[in-house]
Amino acid sequence: MLALLSIVQLYAQNNADTIRTIKIDVLVGLQFDLVRFNVKPGEKLNLIFSNSDDMSHNLLITKPGARLDVVNEALKLGQKGPELDYIPISSSVLWSIPVVNPNQFRTLSFTAPKQEGVYPYVCTLPGHGFIMFGAMYVSSDGRMPELKDDPNIPPNRRAGDNSLSGTQHTNHQVKDQAVKIKTLHPYTPVSPYIYRVFIDGASPAAIAVSLPGDLSYCWDAGTCKLRFAWSGGFLDNSELWKGKGDVSAKVVGNVFFRDKTDFPLSFSADNKTPKLDYKGYKLINRYPEFHYTINGIDVYELILPNVDGQGLIRTFSIPDVKNTVWFNTDQSDGVKYKASAGSWEGNSLRLTPKEARKFSITMTMKEGGML
Amino acid sequence: MKYKVISIFMTGLLVFTCLDSLLAQITNKSYRVETIKMPDGLTSETGAVEFLPDGRLVACFTRGEVMTYNTITKEWKLFAEGLHDPLGILVVSNSELLIMQRPELTRVKDTDGDGVADLYEKVTDDFGLSGNYHEFNYGPVKDKDGNLFIALNSSSGGGNIRAEVRGQINPLGRESGSKGQMFSNLPYRGWMMKLGKDGILRPFASGFRSPNGIGFDLEGNLFATDNQGDWIGTSPLHHVQEGKFYGHPGSLVWQKGWNRGNPFLLPIPVLDSMRTRGAVLFPHGIIANSPTQPVCDNTSGKFGPFTGQLIIGEMNKERIVRVMLERVGGELQGACIPFLDGNGLRKGNNRLVFAPDGSLWIGQNSHGWLGDQGIQRIVFTGKTPADIYSMNLTEKGFDLTFTEPLDVSVATNPENFKFRHYYYKYQSKYGSDQFDIQNVPVTDIKISNDRKKVSLTLASLKPGYVYELNLGDIKTSTGDSLNNKLICYTLNKLKSSSVY
Repeated sequence: MLALLSIVQLYAQNNADTIRTIKIDVLVGLQFDLVRFNVKPGEKLNLIFSNSDDMSHNLLITKPGARLDVVNEALKLGQKGPELDYIPISSSVLWSIPVVNPNQFRTLSFTAPKQEGVYPYVCTLPGHGFIMFGAMYVSSDGRMPELKDDPNIPPNRRAGDNSLSGTQHTNHQVKDQAVKIKTLHPYTPVSPYIYRVFIDGASPAAIAVSLPGDLSYCWDAGTCKLRFAWSGGFLDNSELWKGKGDVSAKVVGNVFFRDKTDFPLSFSADNKTPKLDYKGYKLINRYPEFHYTINGIDVYELILPNVDGQGLIRTFSIPDVKNTVWFNTDQSDGVKYKASAGSWEGNSLRLTPKEARKFSITMTMKEGGML
Repeated sequence: MKYKVISIFMTGLLVFTCLDSLLAQITNKSYRVETIKMPDGLTSETGAVEFLPDGRLVACFTRGEVMTYNTITKEWKLFAEGLHDPLGILVVSNSELLIMQRPELTRVKDTDGDGVADLYEKVTDDFGLSGNYHEFNYGPVKDKDGNLFIALNSSSGGGNIRAEVRGQINPLGRESGSKGQMFSNLPYRGWMMKLGKDGILRPFASGFRSPNGIGFDLEGNLFATDNQGDWIGTSPLHHVQEGKFYGHPGSLVWQKGWNRGNPFLLPIPVLDSMRTRGAVLFPHGIIANSPTQPVCDNTSGKFGPFTGQLIIGEMNKERIVRVMLERVGGELQGACIPFLDGNGLRKGNNRLVFAPDGSLWIGQNSHGWLGDQGIQRIVFTGKTPADIYSMNLTEKGFDLTFTEPLDVSVATNPENFKFRHYYYKYQSKYGSDQFDIQNVPVTDIKISNDRKKVSLTLASLKPGYVYELNLGDIKTSTGDSLNNKLICYTLNKLKSSSVY
């Protein structure tokens, strides 16, 4: 019995070794992740087509040079398209995988043609076929042209463009450079300026601000406070702006401050969780002055770069406060503090209602204190 | 191949005219498509297009820019920047806009008169935000009483919720262990919301998956389109009414007093009995795959003969769709028909607005999905389009009213009216096949004295089905062929005295 079992296992292994499996998935932006591959004439193949996109796709392998004809024939199916999985009846279609819905997969087993050549594969859902395709090279020597010169793959997949590689960490430096060269807007942003973004270390209602002098900060409209600040750059929004997938704006530079308090302002020493309400911002010489309420009391906060380029000056005004105001800090937040008014009691600054009408806090990076 | 030949032949003319319009086949003599030149450096994925009282266009783009366009001088000018995926504008005045962005509805205002916004004031952010990539927000649109409506996309099962969210998480709004279905873990994802003049945002209607387009008709009915996917067999147009549920389960956890646990676990017949069906279904792959904003033709004829009907964008095709509605058994239902295909129109028709001169402006978008970029406009040339004006259910079939008198001999030939019907399943699975596809014979045809109305009797009529009609080569009495030969009627209710 044991002997028989091991023979079966051996056979299965052999089987798996002789039939090669090609895996194709879908990238954001109507692209197959595998844009070309090579097979031997007459080679047996398993093709697994999985769809991690959020719309449906099919996959057809056509005769050499027949991709556009097949795409146009699929379009002509009109209202019969859905029930035929957008697969036209055509001698140019060699093999086809019907519509695969999001998060599903289908497989195809086939034997590669004996005739050497470039066999296109394409999604023929309406509109997809003009950009969503790839090439199966059938040749015994395995040669393919340089990626950048390959006319059989979509132009944006030829060498040098990593934007569709689907991996966010490879070639990060290359991408940053590309972003800097490419025009981001119909104007050149001049600091100070704002991006509302998804960014790690804040709520989804974050506001990122670029300041003159290569300083930047993230003020969070979801929690009504300055969350963190950095120097040496602003943001890389290249992933975020693609629109699809859970991605964040990336901080360019080094974070030197991160708020560690429950909340930096309190109106009494009782430490009760304050009721916060974000109201908006007003631009003063393009610098945003944030407006929010703490337990119904208006607070205005304007953040400017310190002239030495080593930190931020936060100017608060709380015109109607009637109680003592505390400004709270934490020793591990990365900065040293100086205040224009009030008196320090440990890590907290105590201000009289009159002092709190308008006061400034200067935050300076600690030596070597990158967080 | 045909395109190639034309382009070689016309090379000499390319200097004078735009490549896009040359390569496109221009067959429609009633409507002309024009392409607006966008500013250099703009990634013109368009989130909204509207007109200011002074006649300028205002548009916003997914990288956060808000720009105005002077239609006479053709100058673009920056008004505001830095917004997060703005997808809707409501114009208050020449210097004040309400803009729907990811985190909030924002009042964007130029208070010092220099032409650039300096105040970004929160109007409402009283809804949950998980940071999931699919939590787009739509609107606002305003009713006759001054209430605003916004719609909140459900969150995508292709993503997750972030480590830090805004709002209280309810785990019951997601089907556990399953990948792919859209969900609602944070308050009011999947809802249409109403912002009263008191400034309070209240839940209005639930069950939306991806309602990328809301709008009113001339009678004040509120509509939203939704996108095919899980629980949505094919994309619908909903007539949105207070308190109703439109089919996607996740949002139900935020219904006041909800005590039935995870709504994804309710039996489908129970959910089906709770839901309100689409007033019009857009058959997938046939009429539209991703319908967008409905705008009502309020041009009093400046845009042609379709005043009062809805014009709706489509993302996946070079198409604009037209919808005609009627009340049957107290509810709105009706038909959809292509309005314009090709003729230089691009894909990605995301936002629409009628200009003061009656032309239709279209903002295009893709943002990771199928589509395009830029802005185009459609101008009525003054020649009445040969088209179906309306399709109305009768007790025994349908009345088709045409914009022009027809040639009687072809209009009374049953061969020229090919009906089939089918239905879509309500299910958790992504989309739906067409079920029970059957041809439905036309058994009788009558034409009115003015030759504009054809009354068709069908062998059978069944509620819950789409009736797809393909017209043959019907011509007007002056010999024009119809612009569109395909129309789909969503038969939710029969005329009361229909007997079959």
